Amino acid sequence: MKPVKIVLIYQSLLGIYGDRGNATVLAKRLEWRGISAELEVVEPGDPIPSDAQLYLLGGGEDMAQISAANAITADGGLYRGLESGAVLFAVCAGYQICGNSYTVGDNDTVVAGLGLLDVDTRRAPERAVGEILTRWERPDGSQSLITGFENHGGHTTLGRGARPLAAVEIGVGNANDGTEGAVQGRVIGSYPHGPILARNPQLADHLLTMATDRDMSPLDDSAIDRLRSERIAHVRRGRK
Amino acid sequence: MAESAVPSWLSRSRLAVASAAGGLAAVASKAAGRGSGASIRGQVLLRLDPQALGKLLADRRIAVISGTNGKTTTTHLLAAAVRAGSGSETVVTNADGANLHGGIAAALVVAPAGGIAVLETDERVVGDVLRLGSPETLVLLNFSRDQLDRHHEIKALGRGWRQALELAGAAGPVVIANANDPLVVWSAGPARHTVWVDTGSGWLQDASLCPECGSMLTRDEVGRWDCPGCELTQPEARYRVEGDVVTDSNGATHRLDLQVPGRFNRANAACALAAAREMGIDVKAALAGMATVTSPAGRFATAHFGSCRARLLLAKNPAGWAESLPLVGTDPVVLAIDSAAADGRDVSWLWDVEFEQLVGRHVIATGPRARDLAVRLSYAGVRHTVVHDLGDALTDRADSVDVIATYTPFQKLRKLGGLT
Ligand SMILES: [Zn+2]
Repeated sequence: MKPVKIVLIYQSLLGIYGDRGNATVLAKRLEWRGISAELEVVEPGDPIPSDAQLYLLGGGEDMAQISAANAITADGGLYRGLESGAVLFAVCAGYQICGNSYTVGDNDTVVAGLGLLDVDTRRAPERAVGEILTRWERPDGSQSLITGFENHGGHTTLGRGARPLAAVEIGVGNANDGTEGAVQGRVIGSYPHGPILARNPQLADHLLTMATDRDMSPLDDSAIDRLRSERIAHVRRGRK
Repeated sequence: MAESAVPSWLSRSRLAVASAAGGLAAVASKAAGRGSGASIRGQVLLRLDPQALGKLLADRRIAVISGTNGKTTTTHLLAAAVRAGSGSETVVTNADGANLHGGIAAALVVAPAGGIAVLETDERVVGDVLRLGSPETLVLLNFSRDQLDRHHEIKALGRGWRQALELAGAAGPVVIANANDPLVVWSAGPARHTVWVDTGSGWLQDASLCPECGSMLTRDEVGRWDCPGCELTQPEARYRVEGDVVTDSNGATHRLDLQVPGRFNRANAACALAAAREMGIDVKAALAGMATVTSPAGRFATAHFGSCRARLLLAKNPAGWAESLPLVGTDPVVLAIDSAAADGRDVSWLWDVEFEQLVGRHVIATGPRARDLAVRLSYAGVRHTVVHDLGDALTDRADSVDVIATYTPFQKLRKLGGLT
C-alpha cells in the first residue's frame, strides 16, 4: 500500500507557532498504527505536490501571509490536490488566507484569499491572546472538547458556504460570536494555532479518517488525556 | 525640556533622595529573600524621579548590548574585557540581567559618575537608552521569535532600533552587529558606522523574508543570504568566528579561551571582542578578561540538590533551545518548563524545538508545563518521566545532571540549588 502523503506547506513562512507539530502528530499517529506515512515539507519555490491526501497550513505574520498566498495560487498544486479529494487543515493565519479576503497592515489593506473557505477576516477591535476551549461536534453528532491557544488580530465571519467547526466555551474564536473555525467540504480552518492536534488527538484522527477513508484504531493516549484534563481545568478555573 | 526648567541643584537633590529611597527598598527586598533587589531599587528610584535614568546615564562612556538571545553572557564578556583593559577607569554593569529601565538605573545608581557602563538592554529599551545616554557602542546580537503572546511581530522591535539610530544620526553609536541575521542587518541600517561580525550560521527560521521589501531571501551554498528584490544583502564582515578562532579582515587571528560552553557563546565572544576593540581595549587584555567569565547570572553554573550536582542552562525560546540542547551531556537530562509571564504563556514553541536529538537518553520533565513537554517527547520518541516538583526532579537524582530550563524555573532552581 502506498504511504499516506502529508504535505506541510511553507513551514518557513507559515510555521511561527510550532505549527509543524501538527504534521508530526499526524505522521506519528499513522506510524504508531502501522500505516506508513510520508511527510513532505514544501518551501516556496518547490512545487506543491498534487497527489497528497492531507495538506497543512500554519500561522505567520502579515508579509508572510501574503507571500504564502501568492505562491500557493501561482503554484496550483494545492488546488489540484483538493480537487482530487485531499483534506486541508489550516490554522491561524493559514485559516485566514483560505478565506475570500483578509486584511493586513496598519492600513487594513484588503487582500484576496485562496477562496477555499467562504469566510472573510477583518481587523478585530483587540487582539485575541490566550487559552481557548471549544466544543466540537463531529458529523455523527458526537462531541469533544478542543483545547488550544489562540493569538490573532483578526475577526472572521462565515458566509453561507461554510459552517463553524466548533462552539466556543471560553475564548474569542472567530469573532467573539460563539463560533470557532470553519468547515467547507474537505477544508477545515481553525484559530487555535501550533500543535492543536497534539492536545486534541480526536481531531487529528478525524482528519486522518477523512484523508484515508479508514477507521483509526485506538491508541494509548493516556499522557495526552492527562494534559487535556490539566489544560481544560486550568482554563475553566481562570474564567471564574 | 521639562528637566531644564528645574534648577539643576533641585534635580540633583531629587535624584539623591530617590537613590536613597531605592537603596532602602533594595535592602528590604533582599532581606525578604526576593533576589538581588536590583529591579525593586530601580523601580522605586524611577517612581520618585522619572528623569533618573537620563541623569544616571550622563557623563559616562556607555556600551549597550541587545538582541533576543545571549545578552547577559555577552554583557559579562564585554564587561570583563573592558575591566581587564581599561586601567583605572571604573566599570559598571547590570550583571544580574535586569535589563529594563529600572534594572539599568539600579546598576548605575550604586556607581559614581564617570567611568564605563556596559549595559545589557532589553530590545524594547534600546531606543530610550540611545536617546538618553548617547552610548558610544551598541552590540546587536540576533533576532528571533520569543514570547509571541506578548510581542506579536518580531519585526516591530527592529523598526524601533532603526528609528532610534536615525534619530541619533551622526552622534549615534558605533554598532557591532551580526551579519548573518537579516533582521539585525536591516535594523542596523541607519547606523553611522557598523562593524559586522560573521557569527556563522545560526537560527534561520525567522529570517525567510526580506525585512525591507518582503521578498523571499536566497542563500548561497555557504549560507550567505541575499535579497533578490532590493539592495539588502549579507554585509562583508570585519570579524569572522570559526570554532575558537576569531579572524579579522586583516587576517590577524585571535584565539578565544572561554569557560562558557557552546558555539553560540563563541559568536557572543566575537561580538564582545569587536566591541572592546572599538572602545580602545587592547586585544590581549580583552581575551584575558573574557577567559575569566564562568557563569553569567547563573547560566552554566553548578547547583547542588542533595547528592546531585546540576549544571543549569537557560533557554528562553526555540533559538535558545537549539543552542542549548547540543550542550547537554548527561543521562538523564532534566528539562524544566513553565508558562509564567516571563516564560511566555503559550508553549507552542515546544514543537519548534528538535527534542528528537535526545532519543536514546532519559528525560525528566519537570515544572508546571511538564505534561506539555511529555506529549512533545512522546511524539519525538524520547523516553521520559514527569516529576512535577522542581526540587523532587533533582534531589539525589544522579551524581551529576544537565538541566535546561525556561526563565522562571531557571531562577527557582538557582535559589533551590543555593546559588542566589
Ligand atoms: Zn528586499
